[in-house]
Amino acid sequence: MIDFSAPKNRKTFGYLLLAPAVILMAAIIVYPILLSVDVSLQDVRIARIGEDAKPRTLDNYRWLFGSHEFWRAGWVTAKMVFFVGGTALVIGLATAMLVNQRFKGRAAARLFVALPWAVPEVVATVVWAWMLDSSFGVINWGLLQVGLIDQPIQFASDANAAFFAVCFVMIWKGYPLMSIMLLAGLQSIPEEQYQAAKVDGAGPFQRFWYVTIPNLMPVIGVTLVMTTLWVFRDFAIIHVLTEGGPLGATTSLSIMTYEQSFSFFRMGQGAAVGVVTLIICAFISRALVGRFANSPH
Amino acid sequence: MKDSKLRQAAIYITVILVIAILLFPIYWMVVTALSPVHQLRSFPPSFWPESPQWDVFSTLLANQPFGLWLKNTVTIAIATMILALSVSIFAAYALSRYRLRGGTTIGLFILTSKMLPATLLVIPFFAIFRSMGMVGSLWSVVITQATLIVPFCTWMLKGYFDTIPEELEHAALVDGCSPLGTIWRIVLPVAAPGLAATALYAFVISWSDFLFSRTFLQTSESKWTLNMGIAAMKGEFVTDWNVIMAASLMASLPILLVFLVLERFLVGGLASGAEK
Repeated sequence: MIDFSAPKNRKTFGYLLLAPAVILMAAIIVYPILLSVDVSLQDVRIARIGEDAKPRTLDNYRWLFGSHEFWRAGWVTAKMVFFVGGTALVIGLATAMLVNQRFKGRAAARLFVALPWAVPEVVATVVWAWMLDSSFGVINWGLLQVGLIDQPIQFASDANAAFFAVCFVMIWKGYPLMSIMLLAGLQSIPEEQYQAAKVDGAGPFQRFWYVTIPNLMPVIGVTLVMTTLWVFRDFAIIHVLTEGGPLGATTSLSIMTYEQSFSFFRMGQGAAVGVVTLIICAFISRALVGRFANSPH
Repeated sequence: MKDSKLRQAAIYITVILVIAILLFPIYWMVVTALSPVHQLRSFPPSFWPESPQWDVFSTLLANQPFGLWLKNTVTIAIATMILALSVSIFAAYALSRYRLRGGTTIGLFILTSKMLPATLLVIPFFAIFRSMGMVGSLWSVVITQATLIVPFCTWMLKGYFDTIPEELEHAALVDGCSPLGTIWRIVLPVAAPGLAATALYAFVISWSDFLFSRTFLQTSESKWTLNMGIAAMKGEFVTDWNVIMAASLMASLPILLVFLVLERFLVGGLASGAEK
C-alpha cells in the first residue's frame, strides 16, 4: 500500500483520482468518434462491432456533397442558428438587465425568468405544438383576434410556418441559459465604470453601449457558441414537433444524421453527415471563442 | 423621491408583463390539463378552467402505463446522477488541487463533448450496445448520458472546490486523516451546496433525455421513459390534448419543484461552469 500522504506520492494520487474520468471519457467519447469516422468510410447499413469491416471508400462523402438534401439541411441549420441565436441573445440580455435592476422580489423574478430551462424539451415541444395547433391553438386565435392573419396558419404543412415554429420552441428553451450567464456577467461589471461614465455625461444608452456591451463581450461570445452548438445538436424539439418536415423545411444536419441512420438504416451515410457536422462545429466554436476572447475589455 | 417611486412602478409592471409572456406556455399546460374536452375546442379559448377536471389524471393512469414510464425515468436519472457525481468528484478534486500535466487536455475534453453532435454519437453507441446485447437496457441510456454530463459536472465541482481554502485539508492531513478520508470528511461537507447543484444538474439533464432513450429503448415498450411516452401520445391522440398536457405537467412538475427550491445554487453553478 502506497502512503498517499507522503509528498512524493501526491502526484500519483492526483492521477489516480483523475483516472476514472479519463477512462470514462475515452470510452464514451474518443472511441465512439473514431468508430463513427470508420463507419462513415464504409457502406454500412446497420453497424455492429466485430463484423468484418467493409472496404474503406469515400463514397459516402461523395454522395453527401453531391446531394441536394445535405446542402438544404446545412442551409436550414444555418438559418436556425442565426435566428435562434440572435433572438435568444436579445431576449436573454433584456431579461438579464431587467432582473438586474434593484426592486423587491427580484430573486423571485430571476427564478421565474429562468424557469423554462427546467422544462424537459419534449414537454416544451408538446405544449407549443398544442398552442400552435391550426384549429384550436391559442396562438392562431390570438393572431386572428388582433387581425394579423385572416385565416389560421397551418404550422404542420406550411414550410415557413413550421420552420418558425421550431425556432420559437428553441428560443423559449434556450433564452434562460443566456439570461443566467449574462446576468452573472452583468454582476461582474464594476459599478465605478458606470459612475465614471455618468460623470462624463453619458446617458443610459451610451452607458449601455460603451460600458455594458464591451464588458459583456466575452460572455456573449461563450453563450453564442453554446447556443449555436446546441441548435446544431438539437434532436428532440425538431423530431417531436415536425419530424424534419414538411418537405425537409426543418431537417437540420442533426435530424438528417439521425434519419439516414435510424429511419433509412444507412449508417455509413448518416455517420458521414455527422462527421461533417462535427468538423463544422469545431471550426465555429474555435472561431467564435477566439474572436470574443480577443475583444477589448 | 416621487421619481424613484414611478421608476419602481414601471419596473414592476415590466417584470410582471415579461414573466407573464415568458411563462405563458407553462400556464397554458396547466389550464389545458384541467379543462374539459369540449372547452378545448371552443373559440375563443377560455383562459381559466371553469370547473377543473381532476379526473384527467385517472384517465391518464388508466389509458397509459404512466407509472412504468415514471419508474424508468426516475431509475435512469438517479443512476446517471450517481455515476456522474462519483466520477466527477474525484476528477474535479484532482483538477482543483493538483498541478497535473494533462490538465489542459481534460479541458479540451469538455469542449469536445460540448461540440459533439449527439446524433453522431448515437451511431457508434448503437453499434456497441447491439454487439453487447444492451439495446433495450436502461443502462445503455445511463452510460451514454454520462458523456454529456461528466465533463460539465467536473467543471462545476472544480469551481466550488477552488473556493474552499486548502488549509482545512492540511489541518486534517496533519491530524492523520488519509487523503481520501479528507475528501470525504472535509471537502464534500463544505462543498455541499456545490454538490447539490451538480447533482441537480445531472438529474435535470438526464430526466430530459429523449435522443438516447428514443434510440436504444424504442423497441422494448416496458423500458419507455416519460418523454418517449409523451412524444408517442402526441402522435397518437390528436384530440386528447388535456390528457397529453396532464402527462406533460406530471413529467415536468418534479423538475420544476426541484428547480424552484435549489435555483440559487444551480444558477451559480451553471454560470461558473459554463464560462470555463
